[in-house]
Amino acid sequence: MLLEVEGLTKRYRRGATPANDAVNLNVEAGQVYGLLGHNGAGKTTLVNQIVGLIRPDSGSIRIDRHDVVADPGFARRLCSIQPQSQVPIDGLTPRQAIEALGRLRGGDRRVVASRTAALIEYLDLGEWRDADGARLSGGVKRLVSFCMAAVEPGRVVILDEPTNDVDPVRRRLLWAQVRALAAEGAAVLLVTHNVIEAERSVDRLAVLDHGRVLTEGTPAELKAGIADDLRLELVLDPEASAIETPQFAGPHTVVGNRIVATVPERMAGEAAAWARDLRRNGRIEEFSVSPATLEDAYVALVGSTTASHAAAIAINPKEDANVRAA
Amino acid sequence: MSALRSYRLLVVWQARRMRMFLPLGIVVQALFALGIVAGYPLLFPALDRTTILYLATGAPVIALITMGLVAVPQMVSAAKTEGTLSYMRSLPIPRIVYLLADMTVWLAVVIPGVVFAVVIASIRFGLDLQISPLVVPAVMLVALTATSIGYALASLVPPMVANMASQVLVVFILMFSPLNFPADRLPGWLATVHSVLPIQAMGEVMRGTLDTNSFPLTAGAFLLLGAWCAASFAATGVVLTRRA
Repeated sequence: MLLEVEGLTKRYRRGATPANDAVNLNVEAGQVYGLLGHNGAGKTTLVNQIVGLIRPDSGSIRIDRHDVVADPGFARRLCSIQPQSQVPIDGLTPRQAIEALGRLRGGDRRVVASRTAALIEYLDLGEWRDADGARLSGGVKRLVSFCMAAVEPGRVVILDEPTNDVDPVRRRLLWAQVRALAAEGAAVLLVTHNVIEAERSVDRLAVLDHGRVLTEGTPAELKAGIADDLRLELVLDPEASAIETPQFAGPHTVVGNRIVATVPERMAGEAAAWARDLRRNGRIEEFSVSPATLEDAYVALVGSTTASHAAAIAINPKEDANVRAA
Repeated sequence: MSALRSYRLLVVWQARRMRMFLPLGIVVQALFALGIVAGYPLLFPALDRTTILYLATGAPVIALITMGLVAVPQMVSAAKTEGTLSYMRSLPIPRIVYLLADMTVWLAVVIPGVVFAVVIASIRFGLDLQISPLVVPAVMLVALTATSIGYALASLVPPMVANMASQVLVVFILMFSPLNFPADRLPGWLATVHSVLPIQAMGEVMRGTLDTNSFPLTAGAFLLLGAWCAASFAATGVVLTRRA
């Protein structure tokens, strides 16, 4: 194991709920490891302890069998990080910023220059190569800060929400580069709350909730619990009255004007017929039935936050209680 | 990677980051010096030689101190708020190298103002200053001390407090510190306070090296300043290395 985290606990104030609570984690070289969780689940706290910005209360962090809690300088030499916050590069151009970071991480001038050019080319950032960092859009800045972590990568590469604000086309390019980092031998720790993208890109993942690891495994293992379920998604008509989900549906979540629920595979026909009826009566705009995703497994694990529209829609009270309990 | 290489790369990085600010900073520093030399005399009906010499030698010190105690805390607070400081701390660079690189860029901003202040005062009042070569280490020591204190201040307290404190410091430095006037004009208690604070010592080492004919140069002032410099540099180093 290249990165080993054991029993890591951190409280910001004495007596407060821990931001990290006995977290265990192992990432191998060549692996992309996802760290999933809601806002405030303790993901960034974990990352900051690995690179030595925060000292853990207890537990250990080892990189290549070296105790980095005792020697944070070692961690910084071995880890390259893309932080969650934007890296301010005002006054610098993307090329200057990426090259500077490569060289600050000890890279040879020519190697860094050619790798910078390759990354800019691959992520289709040529248009902004020599533009002032202050004028870049959020998504372009995000990609530049990814390049700053990837140009002279450490043996451990930590990416904290790398795809935020990035357009769908460049997201795909970015994920390919993340995989490439692992293929070249880095252990990639990827922090995200984008479960759908994580499903396609990570080898293993841990779900963090209130500082604890709820579950850990491959995406397939995490989906095993709902493997026989289908995902029923309804887009509500904003004018329509309340909808009660049928008895055969599992816990549902509401985000905006969408309701997502799992249904057993054997009830697929009934579910589709029920949804078609709703559409015919103008109560929903559209629906879909598809295989359950990692996101459904994730929601089943940690529950979900519901958006404003939920208040306007009366939800089956019994089902709602189930979601909360989950 | 060698510390020297990191230092060089960081100086370039910081200079580029402050590319827009650098010329502006230099102009503001020069204006500040000009304001003291040309503006202060408006307060006094008649200027004697002592007053003139104090104004001429006080202006460069004030330029140096305000840079360190006002501009630096504000910029460091901004860096803290926007996350630059954490990012820099996550890189494999010795913290002390980061601090020195930052200070080098600050020094580059403030030096033209200092030179300009001396030149403009000499012309304005027709002075023939006897400048000692010791002025170079004196400027370095004053700049390093002022920036270290500013850095320590911004590192130790929340950004809002650092900004407020720097505003209060401006008034204290301009009006209640023996830089533009002799220390014996201060009330007794304030003179005692200033005998341990670094501001008066900064004035003394600059005056003593800018005009050796008119002002004595004491080792005591250098020592006091050296102690403040070491203490604030160490405090900043500790804060930058500290893990939350």
